Amino acid sequence: MIIGIKDAIKLISITIIACCAVFVCAIFLNYGIDIAAQKGEITTAAGAAMYSAIVSTGKVTAAVSGGCLAMTSAVMLLFYVKNYIDTHGKELGILKALGYSNINIAKHFWIFGSSVFAGCFLGYFSAFFYLPTFYELQNADRLFPEIKPHFHPILAFLLIFLPAMIFAVLAVIYAYLRLKSPVLDLLKERREYKTKLTKRESPDMPFLQDLAKITVRSRKSLVFFIAFSAFCFSAMVQMSASMIDLASKEMAVMMLAIGLILAFATLLLSLSSVVKGSAKTIAMMRVFGYKHSDCSKAVLGCYRPFSYIGFVIGTVYQYALLKIMVTVVFADVENVPEYNFDFTACAITLGLFILAYEIAMYGYSKRIKKLPIKSVMLE
Amino acid sequence: MIKISDITKSYGTGGSKNQVLKGISLNIGDGDFTVILGASGSGKSTFLNVVSGLERPDGGSVVYDGCDITKLHDSELTEFRKDNIGFIFQQYYLLPNMTVEKNVRMGADLAENRDYREIIAAVGLHDKSQKFPGELSGGEQQRVAVARALAKKPKVLFLDEPTGALDEQTGRQVLDYISKLHNEFGFTVVMVTHNQNIAEMANTVVKMNSGKIAGIDKNQLQKTAYEIGW
Repeated sequence: MIIGIKDAIKLISITIIACCAVFVCAIFLNYGIDIAAQKGEITTAAGAAMYSAIVSTGKVTAAVSGGCLAMTSAVMLLFYVKNYIDTHGKELGILKALGYSNINIAKHFWIFGSSVFAGCFLGYFSAFFYLPTFYELQNADRLFPEIKPHFHPILAFLLIFLPAMIFAVLAVIYAYLRLKSPVLDLLKERREYKTKLTKRESPDMPFLQDLAKITVRSRKSLVFFIAFSAFCFSAMVQMSASMIDLASKEMAVMMLAIGLILAFATLLLSLSSVVKGSAKTIAMMRVFGYKHSDCSKAVLGCYRPFSYIGFVIGTVYQYALLKIMVTVVFADVENVPEYNFDFTACAITLGLFILAYEIAMYGYSKRIKKLPIKSVMLE
Repeated sequence: MIKISDITKSYGTGGSKNQVLKGISLNIGDGDFTVILGASGSGKSTFLNVVSGLERPDGGSVVYDGCDITKLHDSELTEFRKDNIGFIFQQYYLLPNMTVEKNVRMGADLAENRDYREIIAAVGLHDKSQKFPGELSGGEQQRVAVARALAKKPKVLFLDEPTGALDEQTGRQVLDYISKLHNEFGFTVVMVTHNQNIAEMANTVVKMNSGKIAGIDKNQLQKTAYEIGW
C-alpha cells in the first residue's frame, strides 16, 4: 500500500501538539484525582478554598488547553489527509481504476492516528516525570497533606489510547469522503475551484494581488494554523510573564516552553506547506521573469495580516482567562496578587513576535529563491 | 540576433557523467522561425533550456544583441527573461486555480500589457476567459499557454514540443495560431520537436543528434499548419 509509517512521521507537528496537550491535561487531571482522594483530610478554611480553586483551575486548564489543542490537531490531521490525497491523486486514482473500493483505500489512513498516539504517549509519560515537582509547587504553602503522584489507568486510557483511536477513525472517515471524487479527477489531479467567487472579483486586479488572494483562499486551513501559531506565541508568552507573580517561575517556564514549541512547530509547518504547495506556481513565475521577491510577497506575504489577528486574539484570550481565574476562581483564596493587563509584557511579546515571524519569513523567502525551477517543473 | 557559441552541458559526475551538449554553435536571426529537430535524448530540450536562460551551460556563450546571458547573475537572468523571453511547454503549466484571463494576465502584467484580452480573442478563447484550465480541453489549454506567453510581448518565443500532448486536429490548430501570431508580431520562434513534418513550417531547421548539430536546412517555402503532414 502507498501509505506507510514514513508518511505518518511527516505529521510531526501533530505529534508535538498532542504531546503538549496531553502533558498539560495529564498534570492537572492527575493532580485533581489525587487531591480529591485527600479531600477529607483538608480541615482548614484556607485549605478548602484553595482546594476548590485548584480543582476548578485544573478543570478549566485541561478543558481549554486540551480542547483547543485537540481541535487544532484534528484540523491539522484533516489538512494532512487532504494534502496527501491531493498530492498522491495519481497513485490513488490508479488503485481506484484497478478496482479498489474507497473504503479499502481509506482504511489504510488509520496509520495517521499513530502520530497522535506517539504524541499522547510522550506527553503522558513526560507529565508523569514532572508530577512530583508539580505537586510540590501546588502545595508550597502546605495547605494540604502531602500527596504523592499515583498512576491512574483510566487517565492513561483517556489521554493516550482514546485520542489515538478517535484520530485514526477520523482520518479514515475523512479519507473515505475525499476519495469519493471521480477516478479521472484523481488521475488528472483535477480539483474543484469556485468559479463564482472569482467571477465576482474585479477583473482588473493585478496578477500578483490576485495570486495572493487565491493562495489564501485555496488554503484556508493554513490561515487558521498561522493565526493559531501567533495566538500561541502571544497568549503563552504573556501568560508566562504573569505567572511569575501569580504562580511560580517553574510554571512560567513550562508555559513559555509549551507556547514556543506550539507556535514554532505550527508556523514552520504552515510556511513549509505554503512553499511546497505553491512550488509549481513559483517555478512558472520565475520562468516568466517574476522576481523572487514578488513571488515571496504574493505567496507568503498574504498570510501576515492573519498572524497579527492571531496575536491580538491571543492577547485578549490570556487577559480574559487570567482575569477570570484571579477574580472568580481564586476569589476566596487569600494573598492572591491583583492582576492587571501588563502593557510592558505585551509590547515586548509583540516585538519578539515580529522579530521571530519576520526571520521565519525571510528564511522561507530564501527557500523560494533556491527552488530548482527545472526539477519542480519535471515533477 | 542570438549568437550561440560552443555550448557544452553535462549531467552527473565522475563515471556517470553524461555530456548532453557537445559544443553547439548556431546563429538565430531576428524574426526567424527555427525548429530544433531530433529524437528523444538528442539534447534538444537541454539546448532550448540553455539558450532561453533556464539553465546555465558548462561552457560556451549565448549572446543576445551583445549581451552574454551565461555571464548574468540569477536576478539579472530573471530580468532578462522578463523583458525578452516567452515559453510554451508540452505540459502547459497553467495555474489550475486561476481562470484563463488570470493565467494570461500573469504574462501581461510583466509587460504592463493592457490589451491582453485581444490576445485571448486572437487564440479563439474570448468566450472561455472565465473558465478554469480544468474545464478546458488539451488544445484549449495549450492556446491559453500561447496567449500567456505572447501577452508579455516577448522578443523570442521558445516552444518545447508544444503539440506533444495533442491530437492531430488540435495540434494543427495550435500551430496555426502560433504561426499567424508570429507573422503578425514578428517575434523570433525557437521550437523543439521530434516531428519532422512540423519542421516544414520553419525557415531554419536544426537537426540534432547525440548532443551535436547534425545539419542545418533552410526552407525556401514555409508551409502552413494545415499543409504539413502529421
